[in-house]
Amino acid sequence: MSNKAARNLFVFGSLFFFAILVILTFDTLGKVDKRAPEITAAVNAGKMVWHKYDCIGCHTILGNGSYFAPDMTKAVERKPKEYLKRFLMEPKAVNPRATMPKLGMNAEEAENLLAFLDWISKVDTNDWPPKPILAVATKAETPGQVVYQKYNCASCHSIRGIGGTTAPDLTKAGSKYNAAWHMAHFRDPQSVVKNSVMPSFGHLSEQELKDLTDYMLTLK
Amino acid sequence: MKYESQKIAQYFFSAAVVLFLVQVLVGTIAALQFIWPDFFILNFNTIRTLHINALVVWLLLGLMGATYYVVPEESESELWSIPLAKFQFWATAVTVTLVVLGYIWMGINPQANIQVLGTNLLNEGREYIEAPRWADYLIVVSVLLFLFNNFMTMLKTKKWSGIQGTLLGGLTFLALMYLPGMFYTQSMVKDQFWWWWVVHLWVEGSWEVIAAALLAFMLMKITGAKREVLEKWMYIEVGLVLFTGILGIGHHYYWIGTPSYWLWVGGIFSSLEPIPLLLMVWDAFRTTRETRNVQNKVGLFYTVAHAIFNFVGAGLWGVIHTLPQVNKWTHGTQITTAHGHLAFYGAYVLLILAMIYVTLPSIRGVKEFNQSRGYHAFWWMTISMVFIVMTITGAGMVQTYMERLMGLDYVSVKATYNLWFWIFRAIFGVGFLVGVGIFVKDYFKIGKEPVAAVSTATQRASA
Repeated sequence: MSNKAARNLFVFGSLFFFAILVILTFDTLGKVDKRAPEITAAVNAGKMVWHKYDCIGCHTILGNGSYFAPDMTKAVERKPKEYLKRFLMEPKAVNPRATMPKLGMNAEEAENLLAFLDWISKVDTNDWPPKPILAVATKAETPGQVVYQKYNCASCHSIRGIGGTTAPDLTKAGSKYNAAWHMAHFRDPQSVVKNSVMPSFGHLSEQELKDLTDYMLTLK
Repeated sequence: MKYESQKIAQYFFSAAVVLFLVQVLVGTIAALQFIWPDFFILNFNTIRTLHINALVVWLLLGLMGATYYVVPEESESELWSIPLAKFQFWATAVTVTLVVLGYIWMGINPQANIQVLGTNLLNEGREYIEAPRWADYLIVVSVLLFLFNNFMTMLKTKKWSGIQGTLLGGLTFLALMYLPGMFYTQSMVKDQFWWWWVVHLWVEGSWEVIAAALLAFMLMKITGAKREVLEKWMYIEVGLVLFTGILGIGHHYYWIGTPSYWLWVGGIFSSLEPIPLLLMVWDAFRTTRETRNVQNKVGLFYTVAHAIFNFVGAGLWGVIHTLPQVNKWTHGTQITTAHGHLAFYGAYVLLILAMIYVTLPSIRGVKEFNQSRGYHAFWWMTISMVFIVMTITGAGMVQTYMERLMGLDYVSVKATYNLWFWIFRAIFGVGFLVGVGIFVKDYFKIGKEPVAAVSTATQRASA
């Protein structure tokens, strides 16, 4: 092959592949809005908050970012919104072990940011992130464990090292409190733990609360 | 050095070398913040922004310096305008300084990043392209002046060479691909879609084209190999880089809300991306083998090392997690960080350092120089980087297994199970810093100390 032929192959071949990219770009841009909920004023304002505080300097979103702090794509599915709002404004007051600094976010900014995070959690990401195999495969054995999984308690609490780290460890929960305390705590956490950031689970059925309490009492 | 213009390269190289040191200093702070998040007055996000922006800027300055050396040499003429090149350098330096001060200010007071005319004043909050919009415009002007000056030089003598044509073609492509990052989109999906046009078509497109052109130039200068042969292989390499790399962008469009056909497009094309990089390694060895009489041995050493680590870091460490079936589990983990570190080091850090070792002696007007510090720096940096990458790869494997497969919490995996990886990473980070320190010293000493005196001093020191 002569140098001229090699050069022409490079130039025209590259233009050809770039043209394909441009065509695919048009096609993709026409489709992405249908793969996500509508963008409201609050969602857009929340995206601007995301940029203002350079959140991507620590976190990832849609898996891209700085890998220093949790991915935010499904954040609103992992934690109650009331908790997240308070956390965004005063991270260490809500979770003393939190790494996140206080950035001076006000209530309106926090609400908009949550609207944005709610939007991103509903984007069709071709099933990413995949559900962890253990979470899918582990069978709940007692009725209490079924309730524990159903309401995703492990997103904040952990038992014997498995689960979230933002709320107290439940490995010894049964040896600390009695059944009455647990029932009261589920219905209205602040009635027994002042300043608790746990949301109320009073909407659960009486049977579910009893099963969950029984499960807590086995943790010793 | 044949032309007075080529001294311009030194302005850019010096700024690049200083920023390289800054980049690795803040990188070491970032490594310590993985262990103690409150270690420094500035939070991780500011440190990390400085780390990756310093990287991009010093590599760009290095590429500009290299171009100001190559174009007069290939055109056999002085630059179209030396004052314009100097102005372009100082304008760039001032802009970069203002942007850095803005990042630090925002790091101290996050509320300072106010909205002005619909964009953030100090930090755009988008990874790698954090520079605010006003700085984007200044950067575009600077790059246009740079391209204009070099194109005018080529037009002046009309001595077209494949190397400089490809180099400037790659640089033009680079400049154009900055533009998709300069507008706001309400949808985060579109935001990331266009963001990858910038990031991917830079590091896996235009920058690799530039690297292939500079590789051919360096091999020709050091070994005296035939231009025709080098240029032919260069065309084949850059052709394959773009044939695989342009649509290889699909591997960033698997999970960000874009249609699922990207799983096929990205999976197929990005799997082929290592091929041109392997070809460059073969090219470097083939050319080197044919030559025995090399004076600038350290220059050749860095050139070949660049080709090898470009293939290992950008090629191999990329391809291991590029298939959608694998990437589904590894996406967003430390595996990506490991790939990022080795790819940038091999493909671009070693490229600029090689270019400096190849051209600096002639810029400073010396034929011989003490080469031992160059090797010292290389081994400190390379061994440290290989271990940094191994620790982060280990952390990524643990994270993929425990968080993604087993469902453990992100924070507990990071703070508990990966702690030792962070500790070792920080130790090797200090090792890398030592290597950079030796290199910086070498950069400022080459050609400015008597060769014989240095050799005896080195012998005495090692005895």
